[in-house]
Amino acid sequence: MDNYQLLLYLRIGLVAILYLVILQIVLVSRRDLKRAEKPVAAGVATTRARQVVGRLILIDSGSTPYKPGQEFALEPITTIGRAPTNSIVLDSTFVSTEHTRILYKDKSLWVEDMGSRNGTLVNGQTIAQPVAVAPGALLQVGDVRFEFAAA
Amino acid sequence: MFNRQRYRWTELWLLLLPSVFLLVGYFELLIVHNLSVPVTSHNLPPLDAFTPIFGLIAALFGAHLLLVIIAPDADQTLLPIAGMLTSIGVLMSLRLGPDIGVPTLGLKQLAFAIAGLAVCVLTVWATRDLRWLRNYKYTWAAVGIVLVGITLLHSHSLSTNAPSRDVLNIGSGGLSFQPSEILKICLVIFFAGYLSENREMLAISNLRVGPLKLPPLKHLGPLIAMLGLALLIFLGVKELGLAILVFGLFLSMLYVASNRPSYIIGSVVAFALGALVIYRIFPYAQQRIAIVGNAFDTTPPARIAYNAGFQIVQGLIAFGNGGVFGAGLGLGKSWIVPFSHTDYIAASFGEEFGFAGVLALIGLFMLLVYRGMHIATRPRASFNQLMAVGLTAVFAIQTIVILAGNLKIMPLTGIPLPFVAYGGSSLIANYIIIGLLLRLSQDKS
Repeated sequence: MDNYQLLLYLRIGLVAILYLVILQIVLVSRRDLKRAEKPVAAGVATTRARQVVGRLILIDSGSTPYKPGQEFALEPITTIGRAPTNSIVLDSTFVSTEHTRILYKDKSLWVEDMGSRNGTLVNGQTIAQPVAVAPGALLQVGDVRFEFAAA
Repeated sequence: MFNRQRYRWTELWLLLLPSVFLLVGYFELLIVHNLSVPVTSHNLPPLDAFTPIFGLIAALFGAHLLLVIIAPDADQTLLPIAGMLTSIGVLMSLRLGPDIGVPTLGLKQLAFAIAGLAVCVLTVWATRDLRWLRNYKYTWAAVGIVLVGITLLHSHSLSTNAPSRDVLNIGSGGLSFQPSEILKICLVIFFAGYLSENREMLAISNLRVGPLKLPPLKHLGPLIAMLGLALLIFLGVKELGLAILVFGLFLSMLYVASNRPSYIIGSVVAFALGALVIYRIFPYAQQRIAIVGNAFDTTPPARIAYNAGFQIVQGLIAFGNGGVFGAGLGLGKSWIVPFSHTDYIAASFGEEFGFAGVLALIGLFMLLVYRGMHIATRPRASFNQLMAVGLTAVFAIQTIVILAGNLKIMPLTGIPLPFVAYGGSSLIANYIIIGLLLRLSQDKS
């Protein structure tokens, strides 16, 4: 084998090593993804089995993009606010980041203000402590108004 | 110390491949050196090549062992990808050095690589608590602005026509340093700090212009300031690449933080309008575009292909000469291209490794960006997520801008190809980014 033939093999070998590196890293990445998939699947199962304890019907959407009449399902813990982490996100300047929390406790729904700037109103009254509400009660969060309904 | 369960076996295995690559490349250079018919103008003495090849292998495994001790859970693919790209860089410097009249080029690049790996490990160690980066975000921004300011003042005294104009010479020892390399890291930290604190504000839109939703006017301020900074860099330093890098970086982080495509559309339209105005007013901009458009023009008096367009034309010829599988390491003639070891390293690589090699190189950069974005999905704190996105975007934007410049898709800029191009500031700054990403990859929620 002369030098030129050897050079040809080396030349192809060098490029082949580059592709081998790519292949190996893709394989490692695939293994990482498979490992990460398992907890995600478990998360999907729990959200599917979520419990609906009541509903909120939108009466006045204020400056949010929602339409009056839209319904929101209430879970055992429902948070309302402007931050995207809330269960119900109200994109309005009158709504605080974490504005209101609705809890299901002792077979009743409780509304609790989370220290919001503009307060939470139940049937027109600003609430200082958590209050129990029944279907038909009115809830005002910032410039958005809801009515409670049974599940 | 070396817990068998927590040992970084994947990284060790992946690091073997760059080592084999370096050894095969060394072997090929030795054969080219011994060929009876001289195919290169200068040949490489075998012993001169010995140190860079084995030095880099030793440095990569040294960095690996240190990471086993200080960050056993960190991502195991980043160092091998960066190491592979650095190996290509050292091998190309080693091979081009004798031909461009700097026989110690490979050795110098090795020194930068060792410094880079050391700084990488040091960064991982120093950022055990990332909060100090976040708490001093305005300090980082100030450092960045001061660096740009110095560069702006300094660039007026430069008369060179080289695309890389933002160089600071330190002392008389021939040491030089590119402030823009440090600037990009400072800006990522600042943007991550600023956007993670204001992301809710930026996500609100109550200002509507037609189909576009804009953020509240007071939050438009930073956006306009960034656009202004990018244009200032373009006009003052005449660095189109750096301007695109700063602005692209800000846009990618802003999009991830706010999830509003309208910001991107609005900013790109504003940038395009600004660029058009600048193109109309400044002859410098028209000149740069004209060079790209008429690179092959040989008619007098401009004779662009022999003067301003010489580099672009020779770079394209180098790519073309490579063909599909390349001319072979040491058998190309890419040193004819001006700045073949820095701005045109992609053309040099393309000539000797061919189309197949360039595709693999792009693949390596894509994997680097993929791993960076993968790391960005894991932390819970938005500051950490945004920082990973920004640091990854630095690699992505730089690679696109310089490859597009080399291939005559856009005007050539002085942005170095990460890890591959010859140069200390760039290599060390890129290894700082790898160090930060390694640290961020340990933050799993």
